[in-house]
Amino acid sequence: MAIRDLIPWRRSSRELERPRYGDPFSRFQDEMNRLFDDFFQGVAPRRSDWTRELGQFEPSVNIHESEKEVRISAEIPGMDQKDIEVELTEGGLSIRGEKKLEHEEEKDGYRTVERSYGSFQRHIPLPPELDTEKANAEYKNGVLNVTVPKRPEAESKKKKIEVKSS
Amino acid sequence: MAEEKKDVVKREADVPSRAERTSSRPTFLPAVDIYESEKDTVLVADMPGVDDKSVNIELEGGVLTVTGEVSDEKCEGHDLVYAEYRVGDYQRSFRLADTVDRDKIGASVKNGVLRIVLPKAEQALPKKIQVNAG
Repeated sequence: MAIRDLIPWRRSSRELERPRYGDPFSRFQDEMNRLFDDFFQGVAPRRSDWTRELGQFEPSVNIHESEKEVRISAEIPGMDQKDIEVELTEGGLSIRGEKKLEHEEEKDGYRTVERSYGSFQRHIPLPPELDTEKANAEYKNGVLNVTVPKRPEAESKKKKIEVKSS
Repeated sequence: MAEEKKDVVKREADVPSRAERTSSRPTFLPAVDIYESEKDTVLVADMPGVDDKSVNIELEGGVLTVTGEVSDEKCEGHDLVYAEYRVGDYQRSFRLADTVDRDKIGASVKNGVLRIVLPKAEQALPKKIQVNAG
């Protein structure tokens, strides 16, 4: 039984009878629908044991774009360069690795652990006009920067279409 | 309960009530691991973007303050099109216990991680006291 079955109203039946715009009750109902949608979307899917290695934390990424290239930055401090795997396919960029926790065998020491550790994996879909052959990855001061240039033909393919007034 | 992936979210630092921030860049509290053993306490702070030249450690009145400066990520001609994290400086303060040997504090930065070793002073080390029959 899906979660949606618990919700007393159904979207589909309302589609055809659009009440007049601005009607406060339908606006309220829209908001409540949205509230429930957002809430239930946040529930994590149940993972099986074998997926446990797939990731324990997710590093954050930022993406910058210029006319010539796309640059993806990820904050992953404390890694050894050789422990980070970066893979580029036509589908996108895949970053994975494992951050090991130091001091594994601390004997009776008091400790507080705030930093993230464990295995991580992120897949970032990329637009098709990138030249994956010429990509470059650099790990400096704990920040991984992957730069992928755009294919030169991609730029010329863009055609501006003028909007004429009639 | 399903196992949830932990999202790495940077915590924004509290501005001390008497001072106001003068720049628009945020200041973050770096995540810190603290390990304590018999002979020292080690602080390990995640500060991506910081190297040994841009980190500053000051000890004043028993309070150790760590600041790290991070330069902007944006390059000439680049636009930020998707952001999950913001770039900003780091700052965090710690009150040191009296047992710390202030002169022997050591620090190093590698790959955006700062390690501070706070050795414990001689008299703070546990000593075995001989018990004589008497």
